[in-house]
Amino acid sequence: MSNTSPTAAGTLYTICVFTENTIGLLNKITILFSRRRINIESLTVSESERKGVSRFTIVIHHTSREEVEKLVRQIRKIIEVLAVFGYLNEEIAYNEIAMFKISTLSGAKPLDVEVINKIYKAWVVYWGLDYVVIEKTGTLEEIFDFFNYIKPYGILEFVRSGRVAVSKSSKSLSDYLPETEWEYYL
Amino acid sequence: MELKENLGVSTSLHSDSQNTTVAASETELINGSHAVMRSLLAEGVDTIFGYPGGAIMPVYDALYDYQDQLNHILVRHEQGAGHAAEGYARMSGKVGVCLVTSGPGATNLVTAIADAIIDSTPMVCVIGQVAKHLLGTDAFQETDVMGVTMPITKWNYQVTSADEIPEVMAKAFYIAKSGRPGPVLIDITKSAQIEMMTKPFVYKPCTSMVSYRPRLVPKQEQLEKAAELINAAKKPFLFVGHGVKISGAEKALEAFLEKTGIPCASTLLGLSSIAVDHPLYMGWLGMHGNYGTNVLTNECDLIIGVGLRFDDRVTGDVSRYAKQAKIVHVDIDPSEIDKVVKADAPVIGDARVVLEMLLPLVKEGSHSEWIAEFDKYAQMEDAQITQPELAATSEKIKMAEVVRSLSDKTKGQAVIVADVGQHQMMAARYYQFKRPNSFITSGGLGTMGFALPAAFGAKVGDPSRDVYTFIGDGCFQMTIQELGTIAQSKLPVKIIILNNNFLGMVRQWQQLFHQKRYSFVELENPDFIAISKGFGIDGHRCTKREELSDSLDQLIASDKPYVLEVLVEKEENVFPMVPAGACVSDIRLK
Repeated sequence: MSNTSPTAAGTLYTICVFTENTIGLLNKITILFSRRRINIESLTVSESERKGVSRFTIVIHHTSREEVEKLVRQIRKIIEVLAVFGYLNEEIAYNEIAMFKISTLSGAKPLDVEVINKIYKAWVVYWGLDYVVIEKTGTLEEIFDFFNYIKPYGILEFVRSGRVAVSKSSKSLSDYLPETEWEYYL
Repeated sequence: MELKENLGVSTSLHSDSQNTTVAASETELINGSHAVMRSLLAEGVDTIFGYPGGAIMPVYDALYDYQDQLNHILVRHEQGAGHAAEGYARMSGKVGVCLVTSGPGATNLVTAIADAIIDSTPMVCVIGQVAKHLLGTDAFQETDVMGVTMPITKWNYQVTSADEIPEVMAKAFYIAKSGRPGPVLIDITKSAQIEMMTKPFVYKPCTSMVSYRPRLVPKQEQLEKAAELINAAKKPFLFVGHGVKISGAEKALEAFLEKTGIPCASTLLGLSSIAVDHPLYMGWLGMHGNYGTNVLTNECDLIIGVGLRFDDRVTGDVSRYAKQAKIVHVDIDPSEIDKVVKADAPVIGDARVVLEMLLPLVKEGSHSEWIAEFDKYAQMEDAQITQPELAATSEKIKMAEVVRSLSDKTKGQAVIVADVGQHQMMAARYYQFKRPNSFITSGGLGTMGFALPAAFGAKVGDPSRDVYTFIGDGCFQMTIQELGTIAQSKLPVKIIILNNNFLGMVRQWQQLFHQKRYSFVELENPDFIAISKGFGIDGHRCTKREELSDSLDQLIASDKPYVLEVLVEKEENVFPMVPAGACVSDIRLK
């Protein structure tokens, strides 16, 4: 996977953090990154399959695996954090979602919906009077392939979500966070 | 107060809080402020350091009813409350409690909180906050204290409803004192202090949490790996960190050392955990530590680090630190492992438990040849530094003489609280600690002004111990107002000002590393004795060597607080010294 930021160097790491759902926890996590001058490339937060347990997916670039491991241990130290995992790209299945607002003013190049659907696996999710909204799910490369394809049609707006990821290990969250008790995670 | 039917819920109130005449019965509803008081009592708190103000007034109003059970000490500045609570906690082993108001009250406490987290000191800070409906409006004395203290607390939490108080307070105390101790801040809105709880007050102490599980008992395989390295080592060297004191591992440490015959050295905060005259105690580590302990760190084949975090003042240049040695690192905080030095055998657990469990796994032994190497360096240091300083003939008194003289007179049994700078290093070098838990200082943060309030807190924490504090003339002026707190309490805190009219440590660095360009380090000082007397504390000034002994006797004999100002050599330097960025074996004797 290519760098998401032209200046960033190093390997891409995806850090998954499971936490209690409390106010201010996002700050408690992100200040650990800023204190170490690590820029967050993307961040996604939502409730996990367990009620009351939030799942953070944080993507960073780093040149030192050791430093990322230290960061993971610092995140684990936050009282409300239940578990933290750091992954390389090959250890996870991951995706992003992007939305494109494309002009359909008269005189504009007509959209080829068949190519959009069949080749790019992207879908029109909203038809406006003089624009459409197209949704494209995929990796960063897939999204930018489509970006390059659709650009000549006139992009009015473009937005990408943060990455969401699940590990390729066959374990479930319950293996790390059994309902009752679990081993202290190191 | 509105009465509510007892729903038959079994209460688990601490007995202390049930005996009070003012406490609400189990069916009566109380407000948030009373819930704070009853939570403190249920935790066995008997001492609070605080300062009232607008947003904490409801709690102070409740406190009025609990004066016979809670000893509230009114400090003169919130920073003083924080350091006093730290001194109290480190002396008594209990959680230090601070009570201050919102905005400036809370921000004044920030330095002490930062100090407490880096020195692993258990503290619960209860802070007033503006009413819930005013949050985020820039109301009078509103500061985002949650945001400000997030990076420097072990845990912080904002309470906006009275019903939350018992559970949150229970969590606060559990988090502050368990695992690696640290400061916890509870920000309570004024509205939550005033509002009535909607259910009867029930206090269940917190004993475990889903998301926070400090490991006390180490994994067996970690112990075995450590024992294997220890048993194979030819030149093992054990480092005593603050964790030994925190976990009460002094006896376990002694048993371990005596069985294995392994020599040890202490970090600054580990001092006094093992008596200086113990045959296996080689001295202390780090920038101004002993000569042999630093040099031989780079010659040993195994470091057994117990409850320390390999701070940069201990390691010097990490890339040239003990590269030849394997490292066993015992710590209760997993994030300390591999943070600074890579551990060959990490052992996550409580220092006392780990040492006790290691004991049967390690072989009996002695390392007399190895220890003889330490002796060689110790003799060099003694001849070149220690003896000349103690037998000085200079016109002015030297700091070393003052410290050693007090050490002899108190037989190494006193509690020494040192502020930050040259006098701190001299106190650590020359006081001969013979009793555990006898040295309190700001190690990690290096907070000038720590000692005066911390010494007071330590005396409150254990009135049976004699507490002496060494303070520089610069430090003294940072929290000098706490003389008022000490005077009001009448507790016999003994204060020794080592006055050289300089910010001595900075001056030393400017001399050694900045070609003597003394940039803003000379002080024109007030009359400290007149100031002390103004506060109602007696004292005197000692200027001559021949008066020193009598002066110290007078200080020791006083049954009230007392200030002894000693005018010391203006430009003396602390040696040995590992210059910043150098490696430990490049330690300089001059």
